[in-house]
Amino acid sequence: MGNGIIVTKNLSKIYGETKALQKANITIQRGDWTSIIGPSGSGKTTLLNMISCLDTATSGSVIVNGTNVSSLNQVKLTRFRRDNIGLIFQQYHLIPYLTALENVMMAQYYHSIVVEQDAREALENVGMGHRFDHIPSHLSGGEQQRVCIARALINDPKILLADEPTGNLDQKNGKIVLDLIKRLNDEGHTVVLVTHNPDISKKGNRIIELVDGKVTKVNVKNS
Amino acid sequence: MFMSILGKSFSRRKGKIAIAIIAVIMGAAIPSAMFTVSLDISEKVSYEFRKYGANLILVPKSDTIQVGFPGVEFGAVTEQNMINESDLWKIKTISWRNNVLGFAPSLYQVVKSGEGTNEQRMVLVGTYFNKEVEILKPYSPDDKKIFKTGIKSISPWWEIDGDWIEDPNDNTGSLVGINVAQKLGLKLGNTFTIRYSEVPDDTANETEYVLRVLGIINTDGYEDNQIIVNLQVAQNLTNRPNEVHTVQVSALCNACPVDVFAAEIEEKIPNIDAKTVKQLVSAEMSVLNKVEDMMMLVTVVALLASALGVSTTMTTSVIERQKEIGLMKSIGAENKRIASLFMTEAGLVGLVGGLLGYGIGLLLAQIVGISVFDSTVSPRLSVLPLVLAISIGMTLLASSLPVRRAMKIEPVIVLRGE
Ligand SMILES: Nc1ncnc2c1ncn2[C@@H]1O[C@H](COP(=O)(O)OP(=O)(O)OP(=O)(O)O)[C@@H](O)[C@H]1O
Ligand SMILES: [Mg+2]
Repeated sequence: MGNGIIVTKNLSKIYGETKALQKANITIQRGDWTSIIGPSGSGKTTLLNMISCLDTATSGSVIVNGTNVSSLNQVKLTRFRRDNIGLIFQQYHLIPYLTALENVMMAQYYHSIVVEQDAREALENVGMGHRFDHIPSHLSGGEQQRVCIARALINDPKILLADEPTGNLDQKNGKIVLDLIKRLNDEGHTVVLVTHNPDISKKGNRIIELVDGKVTKVNVKNS
Repeated sequence: MFMSILGKSFSRRKGKIAIAIIAVIMGAAIPSAMFTVSLDISEKVSYEFRKYGANLILVPKSDTIQVGFPGVEFGAVTEQNMINESDLWKIKTISWRNNVLGFAPSLYQVVKSGEGTNEQRMVLVGTYFNKEVEILKPYSPDDKKIFKTGIKSISPWWEIDGDWIEDPNDNTGSLVGINVAQKLGLKLGNTFTIRYSEVPDDTANETEYVLRVLGIINTDGYEDNQIIVNLQVAQNLTNRPNEVHTVQVSALCNACPVDVFAAEIEEKIPNIDAKTVKQLVSAEMSVLNKVEDMMMLVTVVALLASALGVSTTMTTSVIERQKEIGLMKSIGAENKRIASLFMTEAGLVGLVGGLLGYGIGLLLAQIVGISVFDSTVSPRLSVLPLVLAISIGMTLLASSLPVRRAMKIEPVIVLRGE
């Protein structure tokens, strides 16, 4: 403990009247799979957005990989995020007019340089080697989510943040995606996964429970 | 990758892009027409100015008699006056006489030539060739009594195939404009017949006259449609002895006090107006300036309208693509990359719109040239970069607000939206 890859200190986010997150003190260890669970509106996404540097805190601080991200300006935040964090969204958020391969390459493009071979390998790695040239609307939800994961991985971030990655998927596809995340975790990626499903949360070796913006419980599974 | 994002986002939004391009075309066509017209016309005017050997034109004072009751005008009757040929020597009696290099009168008459369906009308011009003018009362006793002058000293730049008329008493020789020669199928040495009647188309009372082609002239001016002969030929044919319509005077000097010349000549010869060529040209120039002013106004309005159109389309585009922009930011696109994507898009729209607008502007320029200046306008390639700069600049400027809006998009908010 103490020197986790992600550490939040008294992290709060207030939207007008709503205290979306209140004084959260969380430590996430390198290489862990941490699940964040809680009912709808409990502040899970809010917490994740602040860890992923998409959002700034009302008060408190977030330290990711040794850097206090609360002190970074917009441009530095963007650079920090693209170097350190891979994002997996519930709605996949693929660019509708670009092919699977181009969607992955776009992340390379905004990170540094486009290496098509690497992008192909990333898609093959998530079992999408047969769907390079399909646009998102010609892919199933599970396939789109795997393209999204390939995109999250392409710049080799240490941390993977996933917000309800299986929320829009049936059980079979959900399992494929979770197995994939498990494999990535085994390969050394630190995973933070938000869910409201207790079964899914149990895949992690640490579970943080949020209720009404407050951390109510932290369960550590002995591995 | 950039190209692929740009290309695909373009082809997906063909309709919107087309609207933006049309907006730019509207804005670009007007300045394109304006610059083309003003460049071309002012060049033509200054060419005419340069090529004029004459810097003064003498015309008879026209007495305009107002018709109607006091305060109620029905119109005006202009009596066509003439200048007396016998007064012309007085031009050489002004104090600036040594600067008068030459003068040449013109007597105009529309005549017909050719037979049947090939009948043509053209202007016969009588003027001086190698004319010896006697100075009756020289300004000073040292002045020569005889002054040799003619059209050659006024328009030495005429291109002549063949010869000038050298003999002032040649009553059949003529210089034929290149267009006339073509229409009548005339070659050097040919003879041809012209017909003249006092009342137009009074075929019963036509006088015929046979002329010989001594030279064919090519001036790119009115002369190309004229037949030029010794003055007495035209005077005899039309029975107007001692009469001329206008006189061109060439007065060469550095920083000519040409207005002083004009005033002195007006003093010496009764009932004429001496107009400086500068005055004539400046009339044309002032029309050009007025047209330019008006077009400038229209240009500003057109550019504003077009900027509004571009700005609206770009704003819609940004709003439609909010999610995409938010996503690009979330995976690491900095604001400047987003801005450059939209600015490139805008620049391309400006480029294409500018190119098409330039083309349409050329058509507009023709219309303005023909309807206002009676002259076709030749396309000017030098206008193209100017128009492109304007249209691209305008598009970028008009896009700057929508682009700022794109830069303000926060990924958290758009990615949250289900
Ligand atoms: N931009 C915002 N403006 C105002 N209130 C917000 C905003 N974003 C979130 N909230 C509020 O903050 C609280 C926490 O929202 P959050 O999205 O983090 O919940 P969640 O745990 O992710 O819920 P879910 O399981 O439904 O996704 C909610 O009450 C929500 O309405
Ligand atoms: Mg949520």
